[in-house]
Amino acid sequence: MLAPKRIKWRKQQKGRVRGNATRGNRVAFGQYGLQTLDSAWITARQIEAARVAMTRHIKRGGKVFIRIFPDKPITKKPAETRMGKGKGSPEGWVAPVKPGRVMFELEGVSESSARRAMELAAAKLPVKTRFITRSGGGL
Amino acid sequence: MAKVKLEAKLRSETGKSAARELRRQGYVPAVLYGHGEETRACKIEIKQLEKLLQSGSHESTLIDLKLDKGKTSQVLIREVQVHPYRPEVLHIDFLAVHKGEKVRLEVPIRLVGVAPGVKEGGIIEHLRHDVEIRCIPSAIPEALEVEISGLGIGDSVSVADLRPSEGVEILSDADSTIAAIVPPTVHKVEELEAVALAAEEEVEPELVGRGKPAEVEEGGEEES
Repeated sequence: MLAPKRIKWRKQQKGRVRGNATRGNRVAFGQYGLQTLDSAWITARQIEAARVAMTRHIKRGGKVFIRIFPDKPITKKPAETRMGKGKGSPEGWVAPVKPGRVMFELEGVSESSARRAMELAAAKLPVKTRFITRSGGGL
Repeated sequence: MAKVKLEAKLRSETGKSAARELRRQGYVPAVLYGHGEETRACKIEIKQLEKLLQSGSHESTLIDLKLDKGKTSQVLIREVQVHPYRPEVLHIDFLAVHKGEKVRLEVPIRLVGVAPGVKEGGIIEHLRHDVEIRCIPSAIPEALEVEISGLGIGDSVSVADLRPSEGVEILSDADSTIAAIVPPTVHKVEELEAVALAAEEEVEPELVGRGKPAEVEEGGEEES
């Protein structure tokens, strides 16, 4: 799973995901992209599950680009713990995404195959998504 | 190169709310500017633009823009602002061009032919989709074509391999790769599962300037 190699601090504050993605909202590397229509935290596990679903579908040929990286640590308190006594311990990593963010891209496959692969990947994600193409220019 | 004719109307109303009102009425706010020309705010019906914008080569298409049933000027689309995730055009910039005056613009690159490397199972990696050129408006190509029918696995074509027509000067870096044929990536199911299993074993990242996380003890955290 994706995770940072080196970090400065083990824990982060939650923060809020507001507004739309003003960068990373167009297909940049491949021909087809999967764009989120919601804001959410995408966990490293969800990214991995989506990647595996896509690569399994396209089998041979094609290239998958992952355009989000889970660099935000998420903490969790152990079960049956009373409130207080400080913040929980790091449990995993997430990538906060804003509406418009292109999360995955595909290249070297037919459009129908890319659509199906993206559909399978979208089923692993906690957001509504849209299939976009480079030639469409976001339309 | 195909010529496109569009009709736009001048607008006096500017600003956020006026622009939103225009979009509700089926127009797209636009602006027309050019060398030695006065900048004019205008609006254009979205219906006229849809086909052109979805062609993928709208920035290299010379347009005859008729403004308020007045003089027709030759323009290029310089910028299209699109909503971050809705299929909605927000604004368009038109650049007026003049006969004989060179302009800089980006034109799309089209790959022509079937590479033998692809028949052998390789994948075309299309790295560069546009190239910057300078030429007079009448010489603007819709797209620049590059032949890939001689490429095997491991071969590539660069900007230097483009053969533009006379009068077209390429400004992009000649060494920049346009496309390459890379060996196929075969994903076996067992391999994928092995990778997934390996990924399960999480390793905590190293803390910058503070040694390994195991060495860092922070009191009162793990209490239950």
